[in-house]
Amino acid sequence: MSQSLSVSAARRRPAAAPAMISDRWFSILLIVPAMAVILVFALLPLAYALNVSFRFADLTRGGIGAFVGLDNYRAVLADEMFWASVGVTLKFTVSAVVLEMVLGIAIAFLIHGATVGKGVIRSLMVLPLATSAAVTGLFWRYLYDTQFGLTNYFLGLLHLPQPNWLGDYTIALWSVVLFDVWQWTPFVALIALAGLQALPKEPFEAAELDGASTFRVLRTLTFPMLKPVLFLVLVLRTIDSVRLYDAVAVLTRGGPGTVTESMTFYLYRTGLKLFRMDYASTMAIFFLYAMLVASLFALRPLLKQFSTRASEG
Amino acid sequence: MLQRDSSFAKEALRYGLIVIVLGFIVFPILWMVLTSFKPPQDVMVSPPRFLFTPTLDNYYHAIVDKNFLFYIKNTLVISVTSTVLVVIIGALAAYSFARYNVGDGHILFFILSTKMFPAIAVILPYFLIFRNIGKTDVGRFLGIGLDQPGALIISYTMFNLPFAIWLLVSFFQDIPRELEHSARLDGLSRLKVLRKVVFPLAAPGIAVTGVFTLIFCWNEFLFAYILTRQKASTVTVGVESFFTLQGILWGPVAAAATISVLPMMIFVLAMQRYMVRGLTFGAVRG
Repeated sequence: MSQSLSVSAARRRPAAAPAMISDRWFSILLIVPAMAVILVFALLPLAYALNVSFRFADLTRGGIGAFVGLDNYRAVLADEMFWASVGVTLKFTVSAVVLEMVLGIAIAFLIHGATVGKGVIRSLMVLPLATSAAVTGLFWRYLYDTQFGLTNYFLGLLHLPQPNWLGDYTIALWSVVLFDVWQWTPFVALIALAGLQALPKEPFEAAELDGASTFRVLRTLTFPMLKPVLFLVLVLRTIDSVRLYDAVAVLTRGGPGTVTESMTFYLYRTGLKLFRMDYASTMAIFFLYAMLVASLFALRPLLKQFSTRASEG
Repeated sequence: MLQRDSSFAKEALRYGLIVIVLGFIVFPILWMVLTSFKPPQDVMVSPPRFLFTPTLDNYYHAIVDKNFLFYIKNTLVISVTSTVLVVIIGALAAYSFARYNVGDGHILFFILSTKMFPAIAVILPYFLIFRNIGKTDVGRFLGIGLDQPGALIISYTMFNLPFAIWLLVSFFQDIPRELEHSARLDGLSRLKVLRKVVFPLAAPGIAVTGVFTLIFCWNEFLFAYILTRQKASTVTVGVESFFTLQGILWGPVAAAATISVLPMMIFVLAMQRYMVRGLTFGAVRG
């Protein structure tokens, strides 16, 4: 490398400042540390997981064993618990993301129209984003407590039914969803609000002059113009929700039974409680594949759109 | 007159709804802080008590009996080290992407796709690798191994780098190129331009990226839970130690949670202006 460095330096020496190396080499040297970290600590472990997924690996029986071909893949695909955890993850993701998007957008409109106190409102809104799901989630168990919890106390005051939030098979997952909605709706609202505030004024003034109805303005102007921002939030929230772990770990530990066991939690349990590293690694590969496809087809075009717009603007 | 009445009603409705929303958002946090000041006999009661004589018993229990400051210290060491590494490595790379467009966007997107990795997918290899390294002399010397700070510092650096690079690229793009050109014409080397012109100009962006990284490290749970047991545990795992055979000690939990959440809240409030930009990898300038 040092050889080619000196060659290129000799070839293109700018007149103004005597440069040791060319722009090209300088720019490559700058990304070397970052690329080294990423290649070593992301790709190497992945290669390791891929390797384990083709082997027999039961930590209770001597660690990484013989090559077994696609056996683990067949076993995982035939595993009902795995599919159940996929189902839980999808149910959680769809309901949490839909609720967060709808509520978040509605809240953004509410705040956008407010005349005073926007600063205070926004300050209070960001608070859940500062907290760790593991810490506040743990405290939500106290809020959900059937005996001492505030939630049921308030429901009691309103003469509403007082469910067993975390213990009831049919409700537990919704309690996790509710917690997630609490933490992440402000995120959607903040970004949607930023999008609303960045909209140009002229088209709306023109529409008002034309006497267009509020509904029409929303449908033909506001939402089409907000679409990129909203879609970005949707994708970011979806990618995050699919990885659900913290909230399940502290709120329900997958229970009661396994009704709140998300994919990540089942993967963790298989690998580090049942010590079947082979099955767990295979699930990780499936999971990773799904995420890569999603980010390639959903996130990449979106961010490209934003970055070209930023460089034009 | 009619017009004014209906617009007043509309405003009243709007603020009414906003208050309900804010109540829902703030109440769990408020209740946590209140509970942390309750005397033990007022914590486990039904119906819940709103009026009580505040006491520091729970804080005493959390800090003295449960040694919670130990977890704070671990978290501080691990988060700050990771953040410094992320910011230095990230700023160099981000500058290169923003100015020289290395890899024509492809490398930058590759980096982002590693951010999309589910952490759980690499956690088993991390667990096995750190377990093996930890048994060697080198691993012990460097503190890299299970239940050692090095393992978490490496994980956090790796997992926050993509985010930091993306956010920093957006900040570097905001700096006009002309300043660098004229500095170059004045005879400064590229590295000097970086140190004396670019980094000072990008200081606010670098600070914002640093604070975001710090918050993410501070609040991280999965790696901390799986790669540590006791010696290197951080606050998110430390709170779990309040589970006892008699049940969960909610008062001390509330105190510990308040101690660990408060510094991050202050950071978030201080950085409000940049929240949207940070949370969207710099895509939405907010």
